[in-house]
Amino acid sequence: MDPRAFRRFRKNRGALVGAVLVAFVLVTALFGPVLAPHAPDAQFPDALDRVTGLPVGAGGHYLLGADQLGRDVLSRLLHGGQTSLFVALGATALALTSGLSVGLLAGYLGGPVDTLSMRSIDVLLSLPFLLVAIVVNRVVDSPSLLVLCGLLGGLSWMTLARITRAKTMQVRELEFVQAARALGMSQTRIVARHVLPNVVQPAIILGTTLVAQMIVAESAMSFLGLGVRPPAATWGTMLSDGVSMLSYKPLLMYLPSGMIALTVFGFNLLGEGLRDALDPKV
Amino acid sequence: MRSIRRSEARATLCVLATLGALAACDDPRSGPRFAGARGDDAAPRRGGTFVFHHESDVRGFDPHVAFDELSNMGIKLLFDGLLDYDHELRLIPRLATALPEVSADGRAFTFHLRHDVRFHHGRELEAEDVRWSLERMLHPSTASPGVAYFAQLEGLDDYTAGRAPHVRGIEVLDRYTVRFSLREPDQTFLNAVAMPFAAPVPRERYGPDAVEVARHPVGTGPYILEEWEPGIRVTFRRNPRYWQPGKPYADRLIYELNLQRETAFMRFLSGDLDHVHRMTPADRLFLGQNAAWAPYRERKADADLWGLEMNTELPPFDDVHVRRAVAFVIDRERWSLARNRALAPLGQALPVGFAGHDPQLPETQVRDLARAKAEMRLAGHADGLPEPVTLWIGEGPTGKAYGELAQANLAEIGIRVELKPVSFPIYLRETGRPRTAQMIFGGWSQDFPDPATFFDPLFHSRAATPTDSTNRSFYKNPTLDALLDRARSERDASRRTAMYREANALVTREAPWAFAFSNIRLEAWQPYVHGYRIHLVWSNCFRDVWLDLPRRRLAQRFAPRAGVPAALLPFGGAR
Amino acid sequence: MIQLVIKRAAWAAVVLFLVVTGVFLIANAVGDPAAANLGPRASAEQLRVYRRAHGLDRPLSERYVRYLGALAQGDLGRSLRDDQPVTAVIRQRLPRTALLGSLALFFELCIGLGFGIFAAVRRNTWVDTGVMSAAFVGVCLPSFVTGPFFLREVAFRLGWFPVGGYGRDALDHVYHAVLPALTLAILGAATYARMMRSEMIEMLRADFVRTARAKGASPVAVVLRHAARNALLPIVTMLGLSLPLIVTGAIITEKIYDWPGIGRLAIESIDALDVPMILGIVLLASTTVQIGNFFADLAVAALDPRIRAGASR
Repeated sequence: MDPRAFRRFRKNRGALVGAVLVAFVLVTALFGPVLAPHAPDAQFPDALDRVTGLPVGAGGHYLLGADQLGRDVLSRLLHGGQTSLFVALGATALALTSGLSVGLLAGYLGGPVDTLSMRSIDVLLSLPFLLVAIVVNRVVDSPSLLVLCGLLGGLSWMTLARITRAKTMQVRELEFVQAARALGMSQTRIVARHVLPNVVQPAIILGTTLVAQMIVAESAMSFLGLGVRPPAATWGTMLSDGVSMLSYKPLLMYLPSGMIALTVFGFNLLGEGLRDALDPKV
Repeated sequence: MRSIRRSEARATLCVLATLGALAACDDPRSGPRFAGARGDDAAPRRGGTFVFHHESDVRGFDPHVAFDELSNMGIKLLFDGLLDYDHELRLIPRLATALPEVSADGRAFTFHLRHDVRFHHGRELEAEDVRWSLERMLHPSTASPGVAYFAQLEGLDDYTAGRAPHVRGIEVLDRYTVRFSLREPDQTFLNAVAMPFAAPVPRERYGPDAVEVARHPVGTGPYILEEWEPGIRVTFRRNPRYWQPGKPYADRLIYELNLQRETAFMRFLSGDLDHVHRMTPADRLFLGQNAAWAPYRERKADADLWGLEMNTELPPFDDVHVRRAVAFVIDRERWSLARNRALAPLGQALPVGFAGHDPQLPETQVRDLARAKAEMRLAGHADGLPEPVTLWIGEGPTGKAYGELAQANLAEIGIRVELKPVSFPIYLRETGRPRTAQMIFGGWSQDFPDPATFFDPLFHSRAATPTDSTNRSFYKNPTLDALLDRARSERDASRRTAMYREANALVTREAPWAFAFSNIRLEAWQPYVHGYRIHLVWSNCFRDVWLDLPRRRLAQRFAPRAGVPAALLPFGGAR
Repeated sequence: MIQLVIKRAAWAAVVLFLVVTGVFLIANAVGDPAAANLGPRASAEQLRVYRRAHGLDRPLSERYVRYLGALAQGDLGRSLRDDQPVTAVIRQRLPRTALLGSLALFFELCIGLGFGIFAAVRRNTWVDTGVMSAAFVGVCLPSFVTGPFFLREVAFRLGWFPVGGYGRDALDHVYHAVLPALTLAILGAATYARMMRSEMIEMLRADFVRTARAKGASPVAVVLRHAARNALLPIVTMLGLSLPLIVTGAIITEKIYDWPGIGRLAIESIDALDVPMILGIVLLASTTVQIGNFFADLAVAALDPRIRAGASR
């Protein structure tokens, strides 16, 4: 990264907060299963009140309490965070790769490739995102996390492709690219060595906010009960489970809600900070 | 462009903290919002609109086809049967003038119809309608799940095979008299006549187009279907020609569909719904513990049966030992606890209160991990099953909770369970097909107060049909079939009970189901609602409801003095 | 201008055609409706009967042609769930979603533009900071977090609004729509506020605003007539783009508030794997996107002096 941009980023407190939040979430997700005190799906006999069957509250043996089936909430949050982030990051990675490659190809090659890809982007953009994601996830015989990743990623690369294409078209006409072409460099090398580094910035910014969007999308699907299959925990499924206990154990709903909001907040802050740092004129 | 400030992050934390604090503050719900003045013994009043709900969608209001609780909630308003039950579950006449005359051999039943009954469109009910309706229901093209209850009718085989235009056992003696004759005495036949399957419909309105029939029901019941917005609500209008003078009392009944449990409960407490049932365990706990609601709620052990139904035609559940292992590993006490004691654990094929239920039954399915593992060894799966099994559950938090409880239990004997959540209509349709669902979390509630109501539809091979099968474990056992058929025609009560006890032991031992629990029903209604009690056969039957209207209006929550224009009031002011 | 309209309309038609084709293929090829409806262990005989009953035994190409043919006549087929015509069901549900959507849009604009202008005028004060922080939080709060919260705290506990549902008559519908509309509007309002603020700041710095100010126009007139009017241009573009959000973006909100619109219809149809209904809804959504884009383009053309001048020349 350009040192000036780095300085701008460091001076931006909001961006730093975002970075810290993101780092926190990533670390807990990465080490969540190690940190988790219990198995996420284990239903503990002593976690439910003997008379009423209400789950035990926060504090004590189960740090954040238990859920309605007597499972440890903290462990589920940690494991669920990993699942949520796995889906979000996977989908984002897919969206970034396809967005960048389509944008680069269309912008660099132009002609029919360009027309074709831009028109298909038009088509994809006019699909209702959540609806199509749910339909496909429902129709697939054995929905898995990978399917979900592919689905969310495959439906969200279009904006990046458009931006990359516009940038590529600018970069293509720059002198050093022309020079490289004149020197007889192969097309692939030109794209990889000269064009790509100059168009990757929007991808970084967009990618960061995309993670936030993907977390929201996955949680939304799980909230509707159409995301990951039980008993796998994601924050979305925990949230939808928690709604039924709202009167007695509001934490069961507010904890995963808070985690979702915090993560989204962190990635958005980071994304904005990156944009301000890398692209100061906007 | 502005840069992001530290204060933004701070502001967010403040907002989140406020949300948390709001969430943690005490719940203001203390009790009913409206007062009711009269006791149930006061003279009923006419008028008003009563609003009830269900969390799922109705399939249709064809009484000869529908066989689920929530369609029946509407069908009981639209249609009347020849017979009915009082709240003590005794048979009483309804469209008939009296209980039928039974012949000496117990095989013929003669019904005399009332002379003052009219269909919604005005025509008088005749004995011919009774015969036509029953034949429509029994016709193979109707594919009714009710046929099994009338299997003893004389000449039914010829009719279903197309060899006879009519069922010989249904005779119209005169305009108001109809006689049913059976091949064998059947102790459940009168119960079958009381079921909606035998409800008379006008033949001129029930053509071959079944869908339209389901959408435009015409019957003799106290209410008429006014409007049906699919998936949203059904409105019933008072039948002015109803044969019981003065009844029904309420002008309109509104049946709200597809309401989520949490929302419905909040709407009930806010006075938006007049009756509430099927709550989340937490809301149930609240309602059950709140003393202010005590006069307006009723708790009653339901006569139903829930558990894991295992398809005995599909591996691995074609092996009795695997089924028994499942039955022994289910931790019923734990399930009850996880549902906040909303259910009564049950380890046999008959709920409490039915002839043949035996609290000391030696075969009772109980939680016994060692025995479950032993059964797995007997089945040759000491290390568990290599393949996961699919457990079909109803979509939504309830099905999911039971699915996850079962998943945890079955994992203890090495059976991996994959959950397949499906919506209720699909659940009903798909689990009733052979070789489709491997394992189902499901239940059955009584259709009439007789042990046959569980055994015949759930475990008799006759009930395992190519579509809409009610024997969803597809359990077929000739010994049991013979026993059930004998018990059905046995006229001596104590011998009959002994037979059902034997059947109970047999089914519990063979374990086509891992029996888990009976529900404990809890319902509540607004204080101004009268004339409603839990009816264990008809579940939610609102046809006699009346509303204490003046009290309701005085207690209206958004009274105009609060400064809200009347037009903005819920339901546009008073109902 | 007319040329632009024709070109846009033609392209919209092509896109819709492609969308229909794509979704038709996904719904029919990726998952076999018969198998999906009958379960993985259905017998061959069962599948055969089901397929014949629903015309699924025909080759895909024939079904496709038949669907397109019916579509050309405005017929979307019949629902697999309850055999009602798809168009009739959608026609019944659409006004409700439209009510919810337009109310949400109204809130978005009132709150978003109002606060955006306010923050721009008071830029770099605590007011600005407060509004923009709130807007940032608003962007980060999904409706499935705010929805249940509003429903419980505002509607139920405080009793200011009905607890979900649709109500009985016109005014009652609006009253029931307020809270879901607010839930739906948070994201849009926050986005508009942020956009409006940055546009306004730019405009307030622009030469023509300075000129107006120098000419002695009142501060209110400067802000509203000169700066805000021109700052609206990108907002109008956004408006066109948020139209579809309002038709289908309401899936979650409608579910939370039990609002019987297109969003809940979509969920119900997906539950039942009701392919014709799903196709109908997707088609409706895509059409809205196209219409939205179309009007956004038109609005840009109409509002932007450069394009307008070019068109009239």
